[in-house]
Amino acid sequence: MNAVIKTYKLTKKFKQEEIIQPLDFSVEKGEICALIGKNGAGKSTIFKMLAGQLEPTSGEIHLFGKSGKDMTQAQKRMGFMIETPVFFPDFTAIQNLEYFRIQRGVAEKKRIDEVLKTVGLANQKKKKFKDYSMGMKQRLGIALSLLSSPDCLVLDEPINGLDAEGIIEIRRLLMKLNHEKQITILVSSHILTELQLLATRFVFIKNGVIVEDVSRKLLEEKSKKYIQLQVDDTSKTAQLLERRYGDIQYKSLPDQIITIQNHIEEAGEINRLLIDNGVFVREFRVESLNLEDYFFDLVEGADEK
Amino acid sequence: MMNYLKSENYRLLRKKSFYFTTAICFILITAAAFILYYSGKADSNFPYATRSFFYSNVIGMGTQIIIVAYLYNATLTGKDLSLTKQAVSFGISRSTIFWSKLILTFSYFLLVCIAGLLLMIGLGESLFTHQQGVTSKFLIASFNMVPMVLSGFLLTHSFKMLKVPDIYNVILLIFIYFFSGDLLRLLFRQISGLDEFYKFAPSTQLTDNLMSFMDQSVQVDYRYWITGAVIGVIVLFIGAAKFTKQDID
Repeated sequence: MNAVIKTYKLTKKFKQEEIIQPLDFSVEKGEICALIGKNGAGKSTIFKMLAGQLEPTSGEIHLFGKSGKDMTQAQKRMGFMIETPVFFPDFTAIQNLEYFRIQRGVAEKKRIDEVLKTVGLANQKKKKFKDYSMGMKQRLGIALSLLSSPDCLVLDEPINGLDAEGIIEIRRLLMKLNHEKQITILVSSHILTELQLLATRFVFIKNGVIVEDVSRKLLEEKSKKYIQLQVDDTSKTAQLLERRYGDIQYKSLPDQIITIQNHIEEAGEINRLLIDNGVFVREFRVESLNLEDYFFDLVEGADEK
Repeated sequence: MMNYLKSENYRLLRKKSFYFTTAICFILITAAAFILYYSGKADSNFPYATRSFFYSNVIGMGTQIIIVAYLYNATLTGKDLSLTKQAVSFGISRSTIFWSKLILTFSYFLLVCIAGLLLMIGLGESLFTHQQGVTSKFLIASFNMVPMVLSGFLLTHSFKMLKVPDIYNVILLIFIYFFSGDLLRLLFRQISGLDEFYKFAPSTQLTDNLMSFMDQSVQVDYRYWITGAVIGVIVLFIGAAKFTKQDID
């Protein structure tokens, strides 16, 4: 695999606070990698260092195998949208993109119409940026990141402010760009359900440290269904389950909760077994772990403990 | 760098504030000329309806002209600095951004200054009675002011690029171009060899230039250029060095 983005022992300190602790991280060609973390976890700081907006305190960044001064050439193959898109408020969408088209040496003027059409702003292209809604501003930010036909997109909260339809459109667009043009994407969002539908890899970050790096396949395996029950007697329940199902996989949790990872298809029988043997079942649910739960267990749950 | 210059040029030519600031300056010059002219017509004893007095308004307003330079820079660079992060993300070096913005805003400012000077001379020549040698002396005095005004422009550019708050920028400009001479004279008056140092202070030089223009003894003076060059080089050196290392957030 070819790493499009690679960092070696990358750190960033603001004053004395280490926002990013030595970070070894890579995004391979063709991936859609989601960077997930709470506010202040360091996602935007990583993005800004990749974009050259922030100087790393130490460590190295390689983009398309280039680092140091050569990295500026590699940056021309990237499209960035970090935090809220910034444009000239009194310029129309066309004027704003024309400014960047000239700056980036994009030869063909028609590229502006192409990217505006791609993000669904073709009919709003003569409107001033200051009159755009939040969602339209986000779309224009994505249009700019696509302007120079990049091989890699780095998008920080690209669906922020978009309505439901807009979110679906942008997700489809990113998937299309990834599938048809093999554009590598590094993306962050607070809407984890969207990331789950979009990304092929999930990197969880907490306090500037990667706490988990999991592929979509692995996440799907971990996201299998399980039975969650709340009973009055967990030890009796455990005995009954072990006696009936020798290979049962279960976990005892606080609040007299037990989760069962296998024999899901026999949920009804398990319920009857417990009731027939005098166990009071307060709650019986078949659940599945999604990205939100996973994130909560990994990042938020750890905080609570 | 050429692409960046071209894009900045595209931006500047579409900024209303650029035309607005220019128009205000030219209207004020014209208004001043006509007020003097009609005051002279209305009152035959009015002593200021002369070419030399009209021109002295420019020579005597060095600090104000530097504030105009500040306004120009603020107009052309100010708020739009937040967009430099997009350029940096695309691999355009901070150095290119710093110098390109300077070259362009500086060029337009010079162009406006030249146009303003021509307007002054045009109005002076056509509205007021001929005074022997006044126009050439005005040009010499204006030439002496050039390094002062430009150094103020360069200082503002560096401060703007480093996002130094406007209030500090204005205070420093007023201090350097209005009070620096008095301070240096006070500080070094007892120190032999440095007691004349204040003559190189921008505020002293601006005053001297006005005085020599008023008594028609003004001459091209290299000391103005030394002072202007020293200030300009220092602020650009510091500005460029700091800007290339600063985070753009």
